[in-house]
Amino acid sequence: MHRISRRDFLKTSAALVASATFAGTSRILSSADSQAVTKPNILVFVFDAMSARNLSLYGYSRRTTPNLEKFAERASVYHRHYSAGNFTTSGTASMLTGLYPWTHRAINYRGMVDRSLVDRNFFNLIGKEYTRVAFTQNLWADILLSQFEKDLDLHLPSDSYSQFADSLMQPDLLRKDRDLAYFVFQDFLNLRVDDVHPYPGSLFLASADLARALASDRPYVSAEYPRGLPTNHDFSYENTSVLEGMGHFIQGSMVQSLPYFGYFHFWSPHEPYSARKDFIGIFPENLKLQDKPRHSFSASNFSDQSLQKYRREYDEFIADVDAEFGRVISSLKNSGMLQNSYVIVTSDHGELFERGEQGHASALMYAPVTHIPLLIAAPGQQSRSDFHSLTSNLDLLPTLLQIAGREIPAWVEGRLLPGFGGNEDESRSIFPMMAKDNPAFRPVKRATFTLLQGPHELFFFTGYPDHPDTFELYNLQEDPDELHDLFSRDINTAARMKDELLEAISAANRNYQKK
Amino acid sequence: MKSIRILHRLPNRQAILQVYAVIAVMFSAWTITAFLWKLSAWLLILNIGEIFTVFSYSMVANLLESLTVLLLLLIVCALLPASLLRDDFVVRGTMVATGLVGSLMAFVKLQMQFGMESGMKLLIGPLVVLLLTAILLAVPPKFHLARFLHSAIQWISDRMLVFLYILVPLFAIVLAYVIFRNIL
Repeated sequence: MHRISRRDFLKTSAALVASATFAGTSRILSSADSQAVTKPNILVFVFDAMSARNLSLYGYSRRTTPNLEKFAERASVYHRHYSAGNFTTSGTASMLTGLYPWTHRAINYRGMVDRSLVDRNFFNLIGKEYTRVAFTQNLWADILLSQFEKDLDLHLPSDSYSQFADSLMQPDLLRKDRDLAYFVFQDFLNLRVDDVHPYPGSLFLASADLARALASDRPYVSAEYPRGLPTNHDFSYENTSVLEGMGHFIQGSMVQSLPYFGYFHFWSPHEPYSARKDFIGIFPENLKLQDKPRHSFSASNFSDQSLQKYRREYDEFIADVDAEFGRVISSLKNSGMLQNSYVIVTSDHGELFERGEQGHASALMYAPVTHIPLLIAAPGQQSRSDFHSLTSNLDLLPTLLQIAGREIPAWVEGRLLPGFGGNEDESRSIFPMMAKDNPAFRPVKRATFTLLQGPHELFFFTGYPDHPDTFELYNLQEDPDELHDLFSRDINTAARMKDELLEAISAANRNYQKK
Repeated sequence: MKSIRILHRLPNRQAILQVYAVIAVMFSAWTITAFLWKLSAWLLILNIGEIFTVFSYSMVANLLESLTVLLLLLIVCALLPASLLRDDFVVRGTMVATGLVGSLMAFVKLQMQFGMESGMKLLIGPLVVLLLTAILLAVPPKFHLARFLHSAIQWISDRMLVFLYILVPLFAIVLAYVIFRNIL
């Protein structure tokens, strides 16, 4: 295969994409009123599967994020920020709609937001005066963006700035019909080898995908990427190309399209943890971690040694992404693009390396898989602000609407973030959940529910075959490693939180009960 | 002149249609079964129009897959000596096509059953199907089995033709619909 150089690729892609943008945004430019130009730009950077628990920014012992720490010196840093879901679909849908998964119903793998709620999204609510641009390398998140297509001025292809297609059939080939084409290929025709119950609709495409999966455990290994190029399993890419490319793209497109709202959702540091060679081996020592025995709801049984290895590779990958992010931000800063821009850095969910589990989207909803970073740098901000009260990724939507000077609708389930009009409310309750095996539009009966309130965290595992319903209660302040279950010891807190959680579940299920 | 010579190396239209009918029915049967298996879940998240679009894309994929296999067979037919395939295209073409499509089915079905952990063992299924096809193709006509197979395949491929009366208009409709969605 002929490989063009990274530089050639970047130049070509940037030129192509930027010209498409300008063509697409000229309509907006001509109609934007002069008042709109004074509104701040908003840039949202989402790094997929980035757990706050593995970032030195939040006190992790490995120095994984020196650049985020530097960025945080002039930003608001949220220390107890939680995703409402533990995998892309539910976490991203909550962030983009300001609704809990049990409301928006994008709870399954490759799920979609309830049709009747599709207008409740960032892009629609922020209004047409903004040039609304969205990009994600995560195809499950792209299904959601496709649902919001009519509210986007530019929806960049997922494989922008990527080098190699891993899948035979790319939905981007059918750009005029991308929302349903995505669904057809992702959910039906192609074989998703990691599906629990696959039944592909196309024998040819399924066989091709299967043969590819058998042949390429480590696709596109190179001297620069000894563990293989980062891949979302549909295409492989270099972080440098994608982040640099997006940086150039933002510089090229923003200048003509003010005010600008950009959502950029990167696959890294999602598994496979394919750091560049410069970052491999930078954390040689094993961490001294608390011993956490396998949980009865764990789906896997990885040894502690394997978990240490995965954790190290993940940490290296985070350090790699952090370095690329640092480069993009300083380039944007030097070009003057951030003078009137809010920059938000966050994730859709975290990653877990304990109790026999590695990854996310399992029944285990422990903090590493829901505790995510959130940093917001305001224009001209000169110092760091730290917020330690509980916040949820549902809060981003109302906060961004506030920043954009838009009205916050009454149906929003999130709140304004502290520092942007919200209060540090210690009594607040938030409800992350995982119900990927539950039918989307039936009462949620098979799930892991979480209630976070003050220092406490209550888990409710329900409906899992061969398991009785189980509650667990932890005090995250005194026991951040979630080792000492207080459910049968702190009876008052347990009873109060259990009642509140069951009442919330019952209210959420009410609309889906058979009449 | 050359193109006419190539046409002479192809089987007659009736034989091609009979073999195509078998190929199209096999692909469609797989896709429609998978479609019905997923339908109950889709009813919860898609409306009828969206489900029809999913079905349309799937059937267009079927059309392309079945034409690809037929084209492959016709190329082989044109390249090989007539006695190997063209002279008895309905029977031997059907056997080869069934072997090819069957091996794809075995490949995917084994993955569905045993998952990726089986690794290269997943190739055993398609290899067995292809080997069986090769053995059946090699059985000399003097054997009773060969004569039985010959008449059975003739009969089946003839009966399959009736499905083309359903599939061909269906392919035309869904193809037009998909083109309409993507071009207009």
